[in-house]
Amino acid sequence: METSLNHLCVPRFELLDESQILRLHHAALRILGEVGVKVNHQRAVDLLAGHGAKVDADNIVKIPQFLVEEAIRSAPSDLIIYNRKKEPVMELGGKRIYFGTGTDLPKTIDLVTRKVRDTTSDDVILSTIISDAMPDIDFIGSFGLPKDIRPGLHYIKCFELEVRNSAKPIFFTAGSEKDLNVILDMASTVAGGDEELSRFPFLIHYSEPTSPLTHSKEALAKLLLCSERKIPVNYTPALLAGSTGPVTLAGSLGVAVAEALSGLVIHQLANRGSPIITGVAATAMDMLHATVSYSAPEFRLTHSAYAELFHYYNLPIWGTAGCSDAQFPDLQAGAEYGFSLLSAALDGANLIHDCGYLGQGFIASPEMIVFANEVIGMVKRYLSGFSIDDAHLALDVVRSVGPGGHFLGEKHTLDFFKQEHWRPSLFNRENLPNWIKKGSKTLDQKLVEKALEISKTHKPEPLSSTVSEELDRIWDKISSQMEK
Amino acid sequence: MMADIIKQIYDAVVEGKVEEASSAVQDALNSGLEAEEILNKSLISAMDLVGQRFGEGEIFIPQVLWSAKAMQAAMDLLKPHFTSSRSKDVGKVVIGTARGDIHDIGKNLVAIMLEGAGFQVIDLGVDVEPEGFVEKAIEEKADVIAVSALLTTTMQSMGDVVSLVKERNLPSVKVIIGGAPVDGAFCEEIGADAYGIDAMDGVRKVKELLSR
Repeated sequence: METSLNHLCVPRFELLDESQILRLHHAALRILGEVGVKVNHQRAVDLLAGHGAKVDADNIVKIPQFLVEEAIRSAPSDLIIYNRKKEPVMELGGKRIYFGTGTDLPKTIDLVTRKVRDTTSDDVILSTIISDAMPDIDFIGSFGLPKDIRPGLHYIKCFELEVRNSAKPIFFTAGSEKDLNVILDMASTVAGGDEELSRFPFLIHYSEPTSPLTHSKEALAKLLLCSERKIPVNYTPALLAGSTGPVTLAGSLGVAVAEALSGLVIHQLANRGSPIITGVAATAMDMLHATVSYSAPEFRLTHSAYAELFHYYNLPIWGTAGCSDAQFPDLQAGAEYGFSLLSAALDGANLIHDCGYLGQGFIASPEMIVFANEVIGMVKRYLSGFSIDDAHLALDVVRSVGPGGHFLGEKHTLDFFKQEHWRPSLFNRENLPNWIKKGSKTLDQKLVEKALEISKTHKPEPLSSTVSEELDRIWDKISSQMEK
Repeated sequence: MMADIIKQIYDAVVEGKVEEASSAVQDALNSGLEAEEILNKSLISAMDLVGQRFGEGEIFIPQVLWSAKAMQAAMDLLKPHFTSSRSKDVGKVVIGTARGDIHDIGKNLVAIMLEGAGFQVIDLGVDVEPEGFVEKAIEEKADVIAVSALLTTTMQSMGDVVSLVKERNLPSVKVIIGGAPVDGAFCEEIGADAYGIDAMDGVRKVKELLSR
């Protein structure tokens, strides 16, 4: 054997060197120390003030470096997320990558009529079932924001529908501390108590600061509640370069990282060691249409940069990919999904969300979850690279076949073809006559067919009847309270 | 000479050059031009061109904002010189984000575009209670209340603004809404007078409301 050879050849990507990482880190620290963040929650202000931060007028808090660096150290660097059955399914940390959908899309492209319409609770069930069936979708979100459920109750209903229709981890939002508490009660019921829930968390709450440099009262209430109850929380800003942040990517990164780090400090001060996923989303505002681009190449650059910075911090990080600015599953959507999924995977972001998004974060497309799953499979194959050891170089096989022979009948081919070559499940590999014979179907047709088929045939593992009834009871109680 | 100054002001506003616009307006006033003439012959047509170019995708939001700033600087100089007939602006708009919503980029954009179009804008900022909008509109004798929301949870309070305007019996006060989750169906549902698809459309709709 050859001793000094690394047998694995894998694609790698690096945007920043160490001095550039530190430059960004120091810029964020200076923003926190010199400009400060607005903290609209008294308990959070008290926590910061009690630990050495300086509170100015209007609750502008200036956070010293040592508090930030302590928080980076005290937050867990490796976070295990379980499924509903208490099996560890995601290890968030390092450069392990996991993919999922997202939350809160008000519109949906109907699978049957192909028209954009308001999202309903049936869409939440459908996307959960599709996500459950997709092997490369690791966690699920509500995807849609159902119009048929009143505000105040819709996040609770979403969570209930998700937990009923999939055992996979749930990434969820809440309107306020109030509905978050109800959702956590439901989760606790599923897990068999609060202690079991914090031991085997199968859910991640999403809350966010508001750029520039503001933590709203509601966002902090939810952040603090998760911290106290040891519920994994994803607290990450969504900044727009040129409007809620400086137009330059470096400037935007400084501000967004300062926002994320100040959230991390508050979270850790409330309960050191509590689980958090951090990072940022910093994309460009479209200066012609005043819209938020989900697929700008600038977004990919800031994504790679913060990923490298937060890997340097050794913290679990979130990511964004598999989303598009296109209003329909068209070529633009395909290109933007492919580019973003590959890029986010190369960044090694741990919790990559937004798969299946269209229309700049407004339109849910169930069949695009299926599409994202296909692309993720392709990306994962690419990132796993290839081995260059003796068995893979196969000089002995080449010797035995010799010039002019063929390799199809070799044992080596039989042994390796499955692991060495990726096979698409929906992308076309048929030749022209066969493709025509089978109906000349384009990918968009196949995606819709596949999504419809899953919706009819896939049966997620149900909850036990006791848990199911208890969830009904919680729902009946809260919905009757809200009706009053 | 006079035509030159008018052209200078026009160019300065179109190009978003604030200081040049101010000094040209000052020169124009010094040379005896009437404030109304400066407004009508240069500023309004300059902003019309800016709006048109933006609509056609030739220029971008930051450029429109700087043109609006140049327009504002010019207006500040002209205001003391308007005769009483022009003491009122083309209209007065009270603007803010809906209760619970602190996302204000869209609202800021609309406010600047409205100012650029010559409206007097009273910006109440973010997270404004329905009462806050209505009280201010009464106090300022405003023509329009403009409410912006980004979140589907906060857009609900837009309906409260509309109800309150009706409750207080203020038929001359129009309510316009805007923001990403808002659409025509929602506008109709809550009984608002109009909704803007984007900032430019918002300004257009406000103009339409006031010309009725």
